[in-house]
Amino acid sequence: MSFREKSAWITLVSVLVCFGAYFVELFSGLAGDRHFGGLGSLHLLLLSVVALVVLQLVLTLIASLTTPKAGRGLADEREQKIQWRAQSLGYRVLMVLALALFAPAVFGHRGVEMANFALLAVVISALTVSVAQIVMFRRGV
Amino acid sequence: MSLPIANHIRRLRFEAGEMTQSQLAEAIGMTRQTVAAIEAGKYSPSLEAAFRIAHVFGVGLDEVFQWSA
Repeated sequence: MSFREKSAWITLVSVLVCFGAYFVELFSGLAGDRHFGGLGSLHLLLLSVVALVVLQLVLTLIASLTTPKAGRGLADEREQKIQWRAQSLGYRVLMVLALALFAPAVFGHRGVEMANFALLAVVISALTVSVAQIVMFRRGV
Repeated sequence: MSLPIANHIRRLRFEAGEMTQSQLAEAIGMTRQTVAAIEAGKYSPSLEAAFRIAHVFGVGLDEVFQWSA
């Protein structure tokens, strides 16, 4: 497995774990009729971001140590093509989700709640980029 | 995903003293995984990369790649 494919897996796993836990906690609070726009969600967000950074650093260090030096240089043309296509797809997903943000606004969500929906859109877009990269690395481009 | 371009890289590597994918990758400035993808027909290289591969083996482009559609 190339270093860049490992990086895509690292992003996928770390974002899923850290922000998955964040949004599960957030929306379970919403289902339990707790308000999720308060300061508590900001503390949880900070914790998730720190966990994400630490997890990515550790996993990237492991990936670096287990990948030959020749495979860790600049991206070659195939890897660049995969990155461009995946980012293009992620951008389109983000645009659609940004438009979909009108829905919670119509239902009266404001402030931190809307910021959380926007964050969810960014997270889904990042996951799309990672999954698209992994699929293209595996199936060809 | 199967591409309509066939290649003879595996044979050419064998004829070039059993050159490894890593050695070819280093010679053309790519990763071993990209060479493997080209060889397996999962990626069509740019014209420049195709010429580099042909140059490594000292043959013409048409001896490395062929249109197979």
